[in-house]
Amino acid sequence: MSLRHRIAGRFPRLVIARRNISRAKVRSILAAASILIGVVAIGAIGAGGAAFKQSQLQSIQAQGATSVYVSPGADMEASHFDREDVKAIDETVGAAAVVATEPGSMELITSDGTRDGVSVTYIDDPRQLHEVERGGIPDNWRQSVVVSHEFAADRGVELGERLKLVSETETASGTVETEHTYRVVAVLVESQSFGGGGLFLPIEETGDRQYSRVEVMTESTDRAEAVAEALRDRFNDRKDRLLVFELTSLVRLLKTLVNGINAFLAGLGSISLLVAGVSIANTMLMAVIKRREEIGVLRAVGYGKVDIVRILLVEAVLLGALGSAVGLAIAVVVAMVANALFLGDPFAFTQSALLYLAGAVGFGILTSLLAGAYPAWRAANERPIDALRG
Amino acid sequence: MTWETSDSEGAKPTETARGDRPGDAAGGGDLILRGEDVTKEYQTGTQTVRALKGIDFGIAPSDFVAIVGPSGSGKSTLLNLLGLLDVPTDGAVSLRGQDVSTFSDADRTRKRKRAIGFVFQSFYLIPTLTALENVEMPRMLDKTPVKTRERAKTLLRRVGLGDRLDHYPDELSGGQKQRVAIARSLINDPALLLADEPTGNLDRDTGDEILALFDELRAEEDVAIVTVTHDAYVAEEADRVVNLVDGVIEDAGETAADGGHGA
Ligand SMILES: Nc1ncnc2c1ncn2[C@@H]1O[C@H](COP(=O)(O)OP(=O)(O)OP(=O)(O)O)[C@@H](O)[C@H]1O
Ligand SMILES: [Mg+2]
Repeated sequence: MSLRHRIAGRFPRLVIARRNISRAKVRSILAAASILIGVVAIGAIGAGGAAFKQSQLQSIQAQGATSVYVSPGADMEASHFDREDVKAIDETVGAAAVVATEPGSMELITSDGTRDGVSVTYIDDPRQLHEVERGGIPDNWRQSVVVSHEFAADRGVELGERLKLVSETETASGTVETEHTYRVVAVLVESQSFGGGGLFLPIEETGDRQYSRVEVMTESTDRAEAVAEALRDRFNDRKDRLLVFELTSLVRLLKTLVNGINAFLAGLGSISLLVAGVSIANTMLMAVIKRREEIGVLRAVGYGKVDIVRILLVEAVLLGALGSAVGLAIAVVVAMVANALFLGDPFAFTQSALLYLAGAVGFGILTSLLAGAYPAWRAANERPIDALRG
Repeated sequence: MTWETSDSEGAKPTETARGDRPGDAAGGGDLILRGEDVTKEYQTGTQTVRALKGIDFGIAPSDFVAIVGPSGSGKSTLLNLLGLLDVPTDGAVSLRGQDVSTFSDADRTRKRKRAIGFVFQSFYLIPTLTALENVEMPRMLDKTPVKTRERAKTLLRRVGLGDRLDHYPDELSGGQKQRVAIARSLINDPALLLADEPTGNLDRDTGDEILALFDELRAEEDVAIVTVTHDAYVAEEADRVVNLVDGVIEDAGETAADGGHGA
């Protein structure tokens, strides 16, 4: 007794189903192809869309969507944060890094004597935001300026150069201009971060050591959302003490948008599976009608209704599995192209891409199972004497 | 073994009728199948066709009964009842003393598988299966592939097809197909073999081979055989001929070898 026969003996329904499928080859191939198309439609659209979404999310995240920006709210007594406030925020957000800054603006006196407005960020240490590309920031940072990569590049500023800046202060008697000269000690690395470019000065230069903006930097947009939530809970219970701003709402909007479009397209793909289901049902119905007497004989020699149903369902599922397997292979290739295109790596499958692929196969097989149900039920319920009377 | 029509013996109770015959006195317990006043009606639209009009029968091991009669007289209907493929409208059919009408469809399927083998006029082999697999077919879902294969091979050798095991039905002649079908009907060691015109599509020589095979099976395995036939030479071989006319058993008279076997 051969091993093959022993294995076949274990799965007799599969053997019978396989033989029956190869009996009407063209019809079987067409039915499987219809499932294939559905699986490719759902899988490729879903996985490709997931790659696109991922690439968009990544670029949004690079723009600072993982940060939460906090400024004093309408109900806060002072219009600035002091060290105590910053400490309270720090405690609330847990592990996330907290960077307190005071934004401002100054006028740069260029070499030809003209004045040019520049944005200035007063901060304890610029390295909290960006790494240093050139130069170094002294431990006791005073009286010198750190410039962003973009600033240095735009204006051809070199390390060691002295920048002449003019600040304006409002006093009772009018606007007073003060001129400062700062030596450039460091250039920061390039960043795409929102509000990144400009000059960085020590917080002491504000004179009052007060901050009006706090950036909370987190690992992900989800964390950022949680942090924003925690801050609102803690500080804005009854009063609006903080103005909490995060890009996560934007991310959420994008996610819903892309997910919606993706689901819609995958839904369109599902229609092709529906058509495939009709095709499988038709194929099985024809098979059952053609094999009417054969099924009658099976019933006569002792096959129960359930046996007949199972044999025919195995056959339908086999058709679906065949189409789904080939469809999956094609969808994976398409998804890999999308991954390479959007994410730069053909194997960068996101979790939702894998879910779409698995779902497409699952639906493909489920569709054929459901499509096979009626023909199988019909065949099983025909009385053998009726089938055999011809 | 008895074959009676209720009205052929007048008002006499069937039990008495059966007692008249030697061998049956031992009791109905020996019988594989027994029918009492079996009636079968078909409803077609508003019309009711009475295909069988109150028939009594009993089949004992190794009986060979031929059912003959004109077309439409109810032969196939009777065979279906014997094969538990259908239940009577009136009267009772019992398998080894158990009333068939108390069985569920699933019960009947199970009993049919265990006790009864079928041979059809047009063979009904499954074209996608080889001769060997066709013979195995009734037992394919049992988890005993090795045992089944041995038995199937033995049966095919027995019907003279030991060299055609891996042939597909369309590679076999009519007589060979019918022999495969007979081997298939024997795979579950049935007590009763039902054949609806098994020689109808065969020439005389091939038909004779089938008959010889029947004889062997009765002698060696005590299989009872009931066959519907239009062929006179088949009826001649039978222990008893049941002549069915319009749903009633006519007194056949031509009973060739009554009591010659088993009963
Ligand atoms: N399913 C059915 N519905 C209605 N009438 C039926 C049905 N089956 C059989 N009959 C009728 O019952 C009668 C007996 O039919 P049956 O098939 O038993 O005849 P038969 O003796 O086998 O004939 P043949 O020699 O032609 O095969 C016929 O009049 C037939 O029309
Ligand atoms: Mg007939």
